[in-house]
Amino acid sequence: MSEYSLSSTQREERTVRRKSRLFEFNQSIPFGSVLRLGFTAWFIFFGIWELAVLLKLTNAVLLPGPFTVLTSFVELFTAKNYLYDVGMSLFRIVVSFTLACMLAIPLGILMGTFRRVEAFFNPLVSAFRYLPAPSFIPLLLMWLGAGEAQKLALLFLGVVWFLITLIMDYAKSLPADFVNSALTLGGNRRQVLWTVVVPAMLPDILTAMRQMLAVSWTYLVIAEIVAASSGIGAMMMRAKRFVHIDEIMAGIITIGLLGLVFDILLRRLRRMLFPYLDSE
Amino acid sequence: MSTRRSEAQRRSKLVLEHVSKEYQLKRNETLLAVSDVSLEVFDNEVCVLLGPSGCGKTTVLHMMAGLVDPTTGLLSFNDKEIVGPSRERGMVFQSYTSFPWLTVEENVEYGLRLNKVPEKERRERVDFFINKVKLARFRKAYPKHLSGGMKQRVAIARMLANSPEISLMDEPFGALDAETRWHMQELLLDIIDETQMTVVLVTHDISEALFLADRIVFLSRHPGRIREILSMEFKAGRRIPSKEELLETPGYLEIERKILHMMREEASDVEQ
Ligand SMILES: Nc1ncnc2c1ncn2[C@@H]1O[C@H](COP(=O)(O)OP(=O)(O)O)[C@@H](O)[C@H]1O
Ligand SMILES: [Mg+2]
Repeated sequence: MSEYSLSSTQREERTVRRKSRLFEFNQSIPFGSVLRLGFTAWFIFFGIWELAVLLKLTNAVLLPGPFTVLTSFVELFTAKNYLYDVGMSLFRIVVSFTLACMLAIPLGILMGTFRRVEAFFNPLVSAFRYLPAPSFIPLLLMWLGAGEAQKLALLFLGVVWFLITLIMDYAKSLPADFVNSALTLGGNRRQVLWTVVVPAMLPDILTAMRQMLAVSWTYLVIAEIVAASSGIGAMMMRAKRFVHIDEIMAGIITIGLLGLVFDILLRRLRRMLFPYLDSE
Repeated sequence: MSTRRSEAQRRSKLVLEHVSKEYQLKRNETLLAVSDVSLEVFDNEVCVLLGPSGCGKTTVLHMMAGLVDPTTGLLSFNDKEIVGPSRERGMVFQSYTSFPWLTVEENVEYGLRLNKVPEKERRERVDFFINKVKLARFRKAYPKHLSGGMKQRVAIARMLANSPEISLMDEPFGALDAETRWHMQELLLDIIDETQMTVVLVTHDISEALFLADRIVFLSRHPGRIREILSMEFKAGRRIPSKEELLETPGYLEIERKILHMMREEASDVEQ
């Protein structure tokens, strides 16, 4: 009994003696600290910004403070029909991205699965991947005019090649023995494709979509800045004409937030649809 | 002479005649992975392919499964040439191949669904083999919740439920820790004895080979070829169900020493 208590105090002493350092290699930290540190960084960022404006270190017209930007959101939504602009931008993203997925998912899977399909399409796809989508804008404007089709086409071209390549690479990295297992169990090619390759690929497809959706937002801004009467980018160009810097910043923040929301939603969706996976 | 006659009396299931496999590495570079292997595997036999890593064991097994074509030579199963994979030749792989998106029972059922086995029979076979590999408690679990040994048991049950005529196993316990491996070997031997299955098992583990084999085919490398075929005469035609008993069987040590010696020679070939 006494021996036990002795050893336990010894153990406590040892725990106490272990110095807790601020920076420890690869050491995990409590979740509370993660939150606190993340918020602190933002707090400092906004603090410096607001302070610079209050102390008149900057030109107040060219750099309004964070509170001015925040209040411009209210103005945008109530007086300037901003909801319509946001809706149009979302519409363009969703439609163009859906079209891109409809081509890229089946093609990527087939290219990653069958070497002949890859040999046929890959030279084409890789070449197009290296052509910057915005360089097609003059062409698209001539062919399709300044309407929706032109914007959807730009967004489509911006993501489709990379999406194909990503999905192809994911398909290639599928363990060969998954397919071999199904073959030795008597599966024919159609069965193996639909009961092994496709289900094994689904989580990767969602990951590829999440990665490319972020890129899609980049092309959206380009499309809407070049020639558009609606959309978040168009609103920012309008604001520029009237030197409404706060509204331009509000536009940037909107895009950032929407990108973040989509990212979180797709992450959630992945966890919901594929509960059998190890955590990402 | 007498052994030859007794072998001739048994029915041979799988036959390899002068089988070689050359892999094309680059345009003008090939690698002879398997060279002139001739072998017969008999009905209800456990034939173990043993050899150092890189000696072509996996290649031979893939050719038997029909997943890889030989460059020269002929493989036949039940007197028919092997031209591709088929459900009559089941396989268990070294890597974990239980499908992560299916539960244990769905995995075991997978081959039966492919082959459109009626639901009632499907359910019976799944129940039977899940019990056989002692996974009844985990039948609704996904592979991510299983240990390595359990994942291999799923793969074995999935293959067996599909009722193959021969089971090809490529180092099925190679990735497991020593204790689990030993349990799995005893479990497998138990199932083999009960179901009278024909097995070709690949391993580089000498004690695993000695425990499971009715016959050991020792392969040497560069190029992969048969060095010697050892019949397990010390077992006197029966299977010894526990490792302890195996160690105490007269003749065990001699043959283990002999194989160790061959392994050592193979290893020193590389050093030169
Ligand atoms: N698909 C392949 N392409 C090229 N070389 C291969 C391929 N598969 C195996 N090899 C080579 O063939 C030899 C035998 O390999 P393998 O059959 O895997 O041996 P083991 O299973 O005995 O370790 C090795 O040298 C290996 O590198
Ligand atoms: Mg191998």
